[in-house]
Amino acid sequence: MSVDIFLSLLTAAFALMVVFSKKTVVAAFALLMTLLTIAIIYFQVGTVFLSAVQVLVNAGAIAILFVFVMMLINLEQFPNNREKNKMKLIITSFTVLVIMGVLALVINNNIEMLSVENLTDNSMKALFDKLFTAYYLPFELATMLLLAAIVACIVITSHEKHEKHEKEELLETEKNR
Amino acid sequence: MSIYYYLSAFLFCLGLLGITFKKDLISMLLCLELMLGGVALLFILFSKATGFIDAQLMVIFMMIISACEVAIGLSLIIALYRKKQTIYTNDIKILTE
Amino acid sequence: MLIEIVEILLKIVIILALPLGALPIIIHVERRGAAFMQKRLGPNRVGPFGLLQPLADVAKFMFKEEVHPTHVRDFFYTAAPLVALVVALLPLACIPIAAPIDAFGKTIYPEVFRSDMGIFFAFAASALGSYGILLAGWASNNKYSMLGALRACAQMVSYELSLSTSVVAMIFLYGTNDIHLIIKAQTGYWFGFLPMWGFFLQPVAALLFLVGIFAESNRLPFDLAEGESEIVAGYHLEYSSMKFALFFMAEYIHMIALSALFIIFFFGGYSLLPGMEIIANKSPILLVALQAISFITKIALMIWFFVWVRWTLPRFRYDQLMNLGWEKLLPLGIANLIVTVLFVYFRNP
Repeated sequence: MSVDIFLSLLTAAFALMVVFSKKTVVAAFALLMTLLTIAIIYFQVGTVFLSAVQVLVNAGAIAILFVFVMMLINLEQFPNNREKNKMKLIITSFTVLVIMGVLALVINNNIEMLSVENLTDNSMKALFDKLFTAYYLPFELATMLLLAAIVACIVITSHEKHEKHEKEELLETEKNR
Repeated sequence: MSIYYYLSAFLFCLGLLGITFKKDLISMLLCLELMLGGVALLFILFSKATGFIDAQLMVIFMMIISACEVAIGLSLIIALYRKKQTIYTNDIKILTE
Repeated sequence: MLIEIVEILLKIVIILALPLGALPIIIHVERRGAAFMQKRLGPNRVGPFGLLQPLADVAKFMFKEEVHPTHVRDFFYTAAPLVALVVALLPLACIPIAAPIDAFGKTIYPEVFRSDMGIFFAFAASALGSYGILLAGWASNNKYSMLGALRACAQMVSYELSLSTSVVAMIFLYGTNDIHLIIKAQTGYWFGFLPMWGFFLQPVAALLFLVGIFAESNRLPFDLAEGESEIVAGYHLEYSSMKFALFFMAEYIHMIALSALFIIFFFGGYSLLPGMEIIANKSPILLVALQAISFITKIALMIWFFVWVRWTLPRFRYDQLMNLGWEKLLPLGIANLIVTVLFVYFRNP
């Protein structure tokens, strides 16, 4: 029980750092730590495979992408003294607090039903038996989505089109002369 | 184990708060990732409580989708930065050139 | 309860002591090997054959004055070497150095973290290896360090893909992801003399994995992260004395862990070296000792291979590195995976 509370507090502390730290790179490293502690929680709950996948995919690849892009875009060049809208912060925090209260109430009312443990077979075999039978079509669609995302990233970030455009414009201006 | 339900609600709400009041796009994406983390945790806990392994499969799909989202989001941010030299939402009010 | 705690602590001490104790020897071998290949003498003044040179180096690293630049980000600057070392040590927890032993009325597993998914955790921990480097590059607040860190990170992420495809192919072929079962599938001989190692089944996957190791641990010919002629020293440019030594140790331990994984998949892990079976059957303790010796010998040969390659091949250019990773190795890995899957499917339909 005490392990649960410790892990929750740790995760919550890192999550607070993600939202409230001034430097974005610090926030990204805090996000990495949050994902790692969530992976530990997965492990403690008993879903060992998903814990490994969480470290491998979310912490090992996605968080690296964030840090990478932050280092490509020099974040410190932007002036820090941007106008601060206090009213907006107050209103949003109030709304979010209300949502959190509602969620806590819902959880509180159903806590007996939720805190039982029914899952017996946690193995990878059970997981993938289901994935490759009942969820086969969604899985294939997800792979197509990944492929589309790869192509989209390459198209969005590639320079080539712009360079060609500029070259053509240059040629045209030269012809007009 | 029951405290994790509150944790997942907390993560979700914190991410929501961050998305609404942060001003640069990268921080907003970070907070989005936080929200997804909270929901994935909730799925795992539900799978534990109800005994269905399907909820764990949802977590796998969520990971795939969050990977796509982050990759495309970050490449859009880089494209925007190349064009306008900014990543703040305040500076991106105009839809046309 | 007490016995379990003692057992775990013992395992942790052994798994930490072996690579950390081997480090000075590896560094000495590397320097002497480099000298041997370049027709030099190498360090030979301290002690017989220069064997005490590593100790002198350690003493130097410990007592040297530490230069702490003023323009760095202090917390992350201090944290980066520690993160690098700890993350490099993590995958070792999943690597067994001998077969499980039946003793004291139960089965004792020689690895610290026993799970049938240990292999995934080893790769997950090795995927975190780039964070120490990224932190160092960012915290140093220096253009060369940043460039080095970005190079290292991009390289590790890209080569992880081809490495994973080869691992997935091997897991398909063996039909299990339990390390002990994978090694068990590799004990024995074909035609009475050829060991049943994964290397002979899947040479393409072995090649992919090998190239992946070189890229992951930032060794020559892929050490663009610290290319001296372009970016001075890369991510550890601002580090001196013990902090620099920690990065050095992290690199070597990462190398050891990845070589151990390579040997588990392709050279039979702790399965006995050919010819050892005759004496191994005498007692179970002897068998365990011989298994550990075989594993360590294989890793030592791997390390020698690293040194050999380092002083043989020139460094790649950065675009050549990326082309090799994305346009050659990744398609090769996927093709290999498809062929393997078809083979497994038609072998037992």
